[in-house]
Amino acid sequence: MIEFKLNGASVKTQDSPDTPLLWVIRDTFKLTGSKFGCGAGLCGACTMHVDGQPTRTCILPIAAIAGKEITTIEGIGTADNMHPLQEQWVAQSVPQCGYCQSGQIMSAASLLDQNPMPTEQDVEAYMAGNICRCGCYPRIKSAILAAAQKLADQDAESAKEASNVEPA
Amino acid sequence: MSNQPNTSRRTFFKVVGLASGALAAGYYFTHSEPLPPLVQTDDTLTPNSMVQLTDNNELLFYCPRDEMGQGVTTGLATIIGEELDVNPSQIRVKFSGIHEDYNNPEFGFQGTGGSTSIKAHYTQLRQLAANFRALLIESAVIDLDVAKAELKTDNGQVLYGNKAFPYSQFIATAKTLEIPQHAKLKSATEFKYIGFDRPRSDALEKSNGTAMYAIDADLEGLAYAAVARCPVIGGTVASFDAEKARMSSGVFDIVQIETGIAVVANRYWDAKKAVKLIDIEWNLPELGKVGSDDIRRDYDQAMEAEDGDSSQELGDLDIGFAESKVAIDSNYWVPFLSHSPLEPMNAVVHIQGDKAEAWAGHQGAGGVAGLVARNSDVPVENVTVHSTFAGGSFGRRAFLSHVAEATQVAVATKRPIKLIWSREEDTQNGWFRPASLMRIKAGVSASGDIKAWHAKRVGGNIMPDTVANALPVLMPRAPQFAVDMAESAARSIFSNFTTEHASIEGLFEDYDVPNRKVNHVTVEHGLPLAFWRSVGHSFTAFAKEVAMDELAAKIGMNEVRFRLRNMKANPRLASTLEMVDRRVTELGSEQGRQWGFAAHSSFNSYVSEAAEVSIESGRIRVHRVVCALDCGRVINPDNVVSQMEGSIMFGLTAALYGNLELENGAIKQSNFHDYPILRMNEAPAVEVLLTESSEAPTGVGEPGLPPLAPAVANAVFKLTGDRLRELPLTLAS
Repeated sequence: MIEFKLNGASVKTQDSPDTPLLWVIRDTFKLTGSKFGCGAGLCGACTMHVDGQPTRTCILPIAAIAGKEITTIEGIGTADNMHPLQEQWVAQSVPQCGYCQSGQIMSAASLLDQNPMPTEQDVEAYMAGNICRCGCYPRIKSAILAAAQKLADQDAESAKEASNVEPA
Repeated sequence: MSNQPNTSRRTFFKVVGLASGALAAGYYFTHSEPLPPLVQTDDTLTPNSMVQLTDNNELLFYCPRDEMGQGVTTGLATIIGEELDVNPSQIRVKFSGIHEDYNNPEFGFQGTGGSTSIKAHYTQLRQLAANFRALLIESAVIDLDVAKAELKTDNGQVLYGNKAFPYSQFIATAKTLEIPQHAKLKSATEFKYIGFDRPRSDALEKSNGTAMYAIDADLEGLAYAAVARCPVIGGTVASFDAEKARMSSGVFDIVQIETGIAVVANRYWDAKKAVKLIDIEWNLPELGKVGSDDIRRDYDQAMEAEDGDSSQELGDLDIGFAESKVAIDSNYWVPFLSHSPLEPMNAVVHIQGDKAEAWAGHQGAGGVAGLVARNSDVPVENVTVHSTFAGGSFGRRAFLSHVAEATQVAVATKRPIKLIWSREEDTQNGWFRPASLMRIKAGVSASGDIKAWHAKRVGGNIMPDTVANALPVLMPRAPQFAVDMAESAARSIFSNFTTEHASIEGLFEDYDVPNRKVNHVTVEHGLPLAFWRSVGHSFTAFAKEVAMDELAAKIGMNEVRFRLRNMKANPRLASTLEMVDRRVTELGSEQGRQWGFAAHSSFNSYVSEAAEVSIESGRIRVHRVVCALDCGRVINPDNVVSQMEGSIMFGLTAALYGNLELENGAIKQSNFHDYPILRMNEAPAVEVLLTESSEAPTGVGEPGLPPLAPAVANAVFKLTGDRLRELPLTLAS
């Protein structure tokens, strides 16, 4: 029995400890947004956050995640409450076949956590682990940069508001 | 009328005839007794198989084509929305079922491929939507008791003065009327949606993990299957020992199927683990003796020693060469390639009594139904196919042996089965882009006019494997010997009696050549061959456009001027090349970089590209690509740009990396570490220029790919003086 947190909720599984996290999330917990692409940690389609770190879950046995916090694509935004990256993905029509995009967005979310205002080169280097066979790279890059800018603008806005409400 | 259901029955030979062109997919399939494609209900209006209006004024579009990422659902919905005056973003798109009403008008069967979808359905869907709109207007005339001239439509509403009535208000009356058949189409100046950017209809679900692919299908009692298969394609099981696998945790069953030994387990991971525990002795096919060197040697020998079949003859080559001042005689090589869509092959099949359900990404739902029927006792009309998004295809999902495998396992175990191929299986067990050896002997006069063009190709053909793959679907109840005989006949036709067009398309068409010939020698070693994004053009453009650069250099002309001079009969391609040339001149070039050019028409579209290249640490680095495209009238400019961007990345992967090699008949490469796909840090910036055109719309899924590799090779020549004539491009050390 292995227990961990999945998108904020405590869960446990009887799956054998060597099972890669990807298959447990997909087949046991029925969250299918994370995808199987290579089974070797090479393409990034299975990327989830493990204690905040972007992780290739197709090669991560669940024995290694006991007590940890797992976030999947289902945990970072919904249709009604989109992550700023998802908003840009839609606004810029980023996906083609769409199969890699959960992994792309999970990697991009980690990038923005670590580096809120990345340069183009930062984005290229950080995202090099995620393959898009349809070749949506120009749009993925542009969507990440736009989301970063939007988050920065929001931060500036709320900082301004915060300073405005300070007592006289 | 184009909106009438196509009721003609196609024969097998008709399919062969059709498929020998440049189409990239599919099967013909029809129910013997056509079923109504959509059920009429009291509260919906369903004037045809494609669209349905609900009583809350929602418009449903039953999309007849498959969505593999090319944006067809958005594109076709835009065409319908335009003539029906419904904002395409408000149209709910569903995948259609199987019925001849959903045939691809270009093919005569229900298949998606060959960059045909927009071209094939443009007029059909416009007419069908215009007829629907006319029906609603006629109904409103009755219900509102006003003159037709006083009514307009906009955004799903009939407008009268300053009043707006939702279309759904007229459903009851519309049901009593004949549907108009020849309603007037809009003129292009009236377009509100066609020609304007529109977000993809599937972008949201593909950005939050809710988009449904076959691999995501779930059923009560679902069991998972993985297959131990022969390292050499076509090998069969001689004997096997699965006792260890049978004892492995979670394993329900071990089943021998046509292609190997399947493990059925409670979890995919359990099945996958157990597969490795099976010992199998294989009967190897002839292919088992073949290595890459053998193939290359056989191709080289055929190129030197055999003439094969000749076609496309014009004028007299001897005269042409006599009139030439300079000539080239060059060989070009491209390797076998895998499609490698990111979603590996998989299928879910559930058989219950004489009914079956199947989930699969595909390029033709009829193929799925036919294979389930052929591999079970379920009549084909009792197979329900749940079409899903395909996680990429590029031609690959026209070939559905994984559906046959899942069905065989489901029959043997009496369980609902999800069968998933690993990435390694996907890389090594494809139908592959054929390797090709091409030779171009060409001569140019002192004034720079091409006088002679003799092209020759050695390699395998796609058609026999396509026929072999389609036959079990076309003949779901025919005995195996009949299928084998038909397949053998098809192989013989394309090996001995005719040149398959897909083997030479693109090798000779684009330039003005008075004296011309194309020779083709079929050499095959048993690797299954397939459509691969842009089909024959994926290799012929490389030979043709590098040869053009060689000729330009030899006669001492600028490579763009030389092309334009010899492209007088091809003005649409010429204008894209001029656009690219102008843009490259504006952009200029950075120190240490060079621009290389290529132009190529395919799938009735015209594309020129320039690639800006440098050599960094001994490697080819592509910084920018400028692409100009003429695809006739553009439905959704942003999606067209997206397809060009994607084709350029796909083409660059092939230009720099793609190379499958054989050793004892087995593919050596297995996963993305040794069969690399371009990554973001290697991706060039892309600028796409679209021509303004009122010509009929043509394909955009494939034509962006062919010019990319030769453009890069031609830039490398300018940088290094080395003429690279083989893919993947490798710098001389």
